Amino acid sequence: MKKEIAKSSAYDFLVMGAGGTGLAAAMYAARLGLKTLVLGKSNGSELPVGGVITTTDSVENYPGFAKISGFELAKKIEEHAREYPLVTIKEEEAVKVEKKAGIFFVKTSKSKYKTKTILFATGTKWRKLDIPGSKEFENKGVHYCALCDGPLFRNKTIAVVGGSDSAVKDALLLSKYAKKIYILARGRIHPEPINLERAKHDKKIEMMEDVNIKEIRGKESVTSIIIDRTRKGKNEINVEGVFVAIGHIPMSELAKSLGVKTDEKGEIIINHETSETNVRGVLAAGDVTNKEFKQLITGVADGCTAAYYAHEFIMKDN
Amino acid sequence: MTIKVYSTPTCPWCTRTKEFLKKNHVQFEDIDVSRDVSAAREMVAKSGQMGVPVIDANGKIIIGFNEAELKEAINSRKK
Repeated sequence: MKKEIAKSSAYDFLVMGAGGTGLAAAMYAARLGLKTLVLGKSNGSELPVGGVITTTDSVENYPGFAKISGFELAKKIEEHAREYPLVTIKEEEAVKVEKKAGIFFVKTSKSKYKTKTILFATGTKWRKLDIPGSKEFENKGVHYCALCDGPLFRNKTIAVVGGSDSAVKDALLLSKYAKKIYILARGRIHPEPINLERAKHDKKIEMMEDVNIKEIRGKESVTSIIIDRTRKGKNEINVEGVFVAIGHIPMSELAKSLGVKTDEKGEIIINHETSETNVRGVLAAGDVTNKEFKQLITGVADGCTAAYYAHEFIMKDN
Repeated sequence: MTIKVYSTPTCPWCTRTKEFLKKNHVQFEDIDVSRDVSAAREMVAKSGQMGVPVIDANGKIIIGFNEAELKEAINSRKK
């Protein structure tokens, strides 16, 4: 253990996850005088520093910004955090975390750190479609980032799989390029009312509820999908792209290894007032938690709350 | 050596790739495949897939932002 302390860099507050939530928490922690390290990595299409909001074309519900790209908004939050010398941001993946004598030891692929408190703002990764053809045609018509790859589908017919606000926003984005878009949801299509109205008024978009995709077909790339009911007498729809937006899997494995409790979905259970978990000195915020309503603004708020209570914890402990 | 970056204007990893090349003072051709259909076909033919960015470093094809592979391509260019 002495060797580990000597080798490790020491922090007051270590933030796992460099998305908007983690970066906001870091800024707030630095203002409270906490030496803070933020570790960011990508789970897929999003940038390691900036997080999943960087894959959103247009953010219209973050107070202070009527309309801003997710990339620009993440940049502003990052720059704000970097204003404080107490904040260090690194693109490293934590692979192991342990608690010994009240101190947390974090190992990444590049280094080792120790910290008095940890915030898990690790977010989620996109749930992948698991049907025949979904793996075979990944990046050959099956895509998970509409912002990245949507522009390649100019004048083509696309299916968007999912019924959430994210799925409908993807369809609205794709409508700038595509000829025709089907939104296919296994249940209800339930975006923000404003986005539902936009989708209803978009002549390129056709919404289908209570439908499942059973198979994706093609040759070198996607040519059609098979659904579990009929549309105009057929269960095959000709499409050239399938954009998947069917939800997220919380990145909570490292937290669990510390004994942090999660719910049946794998989301970290937190005290909704303090962002604390069941493990002393461990907090969580953002999409990885068991809060029901998740947006960037709520994650940012909970991240800042976590920074405050991490500070309180350190003060009481000392 | 010519480096071509096949990208779309809204892709964050494309931005990251181009920023990396600029930071390393590497000249490159930025090809917007959302506007140029023949370039999009060329990209798919070279990489076997439709995701962006695709980097063609004098025949070496790199799919996605891969710092290690980009550094290797840049270093081999200097030799």
